[in-house]
Amino acid sequence: MSTTTRSRRQHVVSAAVLLLLTTTVPRDRLTAQQSHDHDSGLRADPAGCTDATLSCASYATPFFDRTGRLWLAWSGNGHVGVSVSTDRARSFAPPVLVTREAVRLDNGPDERPQVVVDGEGRVAVAFAIFKDDRMNGQIFTAASVDGGRSFGAPRPITDDGSSQRFVTLNVDPDGTLFAAWIDKRHVVAARAAGTDFAGASLAVARSHDGGARFDVARIAKDNICECCRLAVAPAGAGRPAVVFRNIFGGERDHAVITFAADGTPGPVSRVSEDHWAIDACPHHGPSLAIADDGSYHVAWFSGGGVRQGAFYARSTDGGRSFSTPVPLADTGHRSTRPYVRTQGSDVWLAWKEFDGERTSVLSRVSHDRGTTWGPARIIAGTSDFSDHPILTGDGRQVYLSWLTRLEGYRLIPLTLLGESR
Amino acid sequence: MIATRVISAAALALVSALPPVAIRPFVRGSWQQIRREHAGRPAIVHFWGLTCAPCLAELPQWGRLLAEQRGTDLVFVAADAVPEEPAHVSSMLTKAALSTAENWMFADHFVDRLVFEVDPEWQGELPITILLARDGTTSKIVGTVDFAAIRAWIDRHAR
Repeated sequence: MSTTTRSRRQHVVSAAVLLLLTTTVPRDRLTAQQSHDHDSGLRADPAGCTDATLSCASYATPFFDRTGRLWLAWSGNGHVGVSVSTDRARSFAPPVLVTREAVRLDNGPDERPQVVVDGEGRVAVAFAIFKDDRMNGQIFTAASVDGGRSFGAPRPITDDGSSQRFVTLNVDPDGTLFAAWIDKRHVVAARAAGTDFAGASLAVARSHDGGARFDVARIAKDNICECCRLAVAPAGAGRPAVVFRNIFGGERDHAVITFAADGTPGPVSRVSEDHWAIDACPHHGPSLAIADDGSYHVAWFSGGGVRQGAFYARSTDGGRSFSTPVPLADTGHRSTRPYVRTQGSDVWLAWKEFDGERTSVLSRVSHDRGTTWGPARIIAGTSDFSDHPILTGDGRQVYLSWLTRLEGYRLIPLTLLGESR
Repeated sequence: MIATRVISAAALALVSALPPVAIRPFVRGSWQQIRREHAGRPAIVHFWGLTCAPCLAELPQWGRLLAEQRGTDLVFVAADAVPEEPAHVSSMLTKAALSTAENWMFADHFVDRLVFEVDPEWQGELPITILLARDGTTSKIVGTVDFAAIRAWIDRHAR
């Protein structure tokens, strides 16, 4: 069941190419602030990879725009960079740094920069920093109206002064931008009132000008996990659905909310009864895709309770109820970092497995909207640091987007793996 | 309880001027090194992270436990997935009254491997606390701890 299939078209961007690409950016703006403890040899980046290029980045997030161009936003060493490829990651335009100076990036394990392009070609980027020594976060957005050649100065996504992290940016089918993040304004209010508040809140806001400004934020749900990424997919024009790790009592299991077209959050539906009772940061958020027939497809990780590992479930009633969770990996394999993407009636899953030395990304596909599944196949691997695997698509096929320290950035088309149809 | 350390706002402003906290780099093999160095004695190893809010809320309670000197080795490991600046880790340890503890921080960017060496079942969620008994047996607490239970464990194993 674990047939190893090597892609013939792995597009590897080498470190050398990326270094050449950055020659147009002043070197002094590329160097992140470093402090070195000479006694212990401790450094923020022990590998000595200290510049702001993609090859030294920790996290990279892809986005295909409507014209089929691949945008990448990456973060590392205090900077957020953006570049675009017109040939599916074989080459990239010279990168543009969105950050004007090195910042203290929120480097949480489930945090990543965001890039989207709206229907009018405006590019929006979002990222989070730690703004103080109490590790309160602040989300910034920056927009480009010249096709990504330059970005306006990053602006806070909200004027609230508490803490925001884990922003996700999405283009709604109606052309507006929908931002969702984890917000602590109600935590701060509860603390001031002397009451307890579990977790944090789900906040949302829209932008009607390509990301230059966002509407006043709305708190959609209190008491969600404060340290797991959110997953967003459109259930229809103006109706985004958000999957998040909720706090059900002391259990950090997943839930979905679908917003009405007027922005009202719908009811909270539980995706699964994992019963993972944990007062901690799993640092492990879900993934959501909604297929052309309106079916919801969710992949997530549970570390305890009744099931451990990465799982998948689907909903055919608009997210009100979900199928029995199915494990992604074969028995005995520990699967993490699941991601799901739909393409027509196809549903693709990808996830990580680590054996102590080597990390593999595996994938399965369903051609019947998640009813039956093909075997797990290894589609990529590495033996050093790697970002989470992400599935992206250009409307024609699905790709694995994966940043690894040794191999660089890879965009691997999943439909070219010899899958029999 | 002996002395609950209170760090005033004025003292916090001086944190950056204080001597750096001794932090050992946690790299490949460090977990086994910790096991060896504490072999034959009960020890508690607490993994926390700057990017983990529940960890930071709990950390001062670990500082109070350290001050009690109950007779068990306490080891603290900053386990952020992207290694943080040592100065930031040092500052947080000082605020939590843990600057004199045995401190380590992840110092290998291949964090998946460090985590796997500690426990193949651990996926990096924080905090986690590993209790090492005198006979080498281990038990793991995922999430924040019940300090009454921790003190009871210490009193039971430190004899």
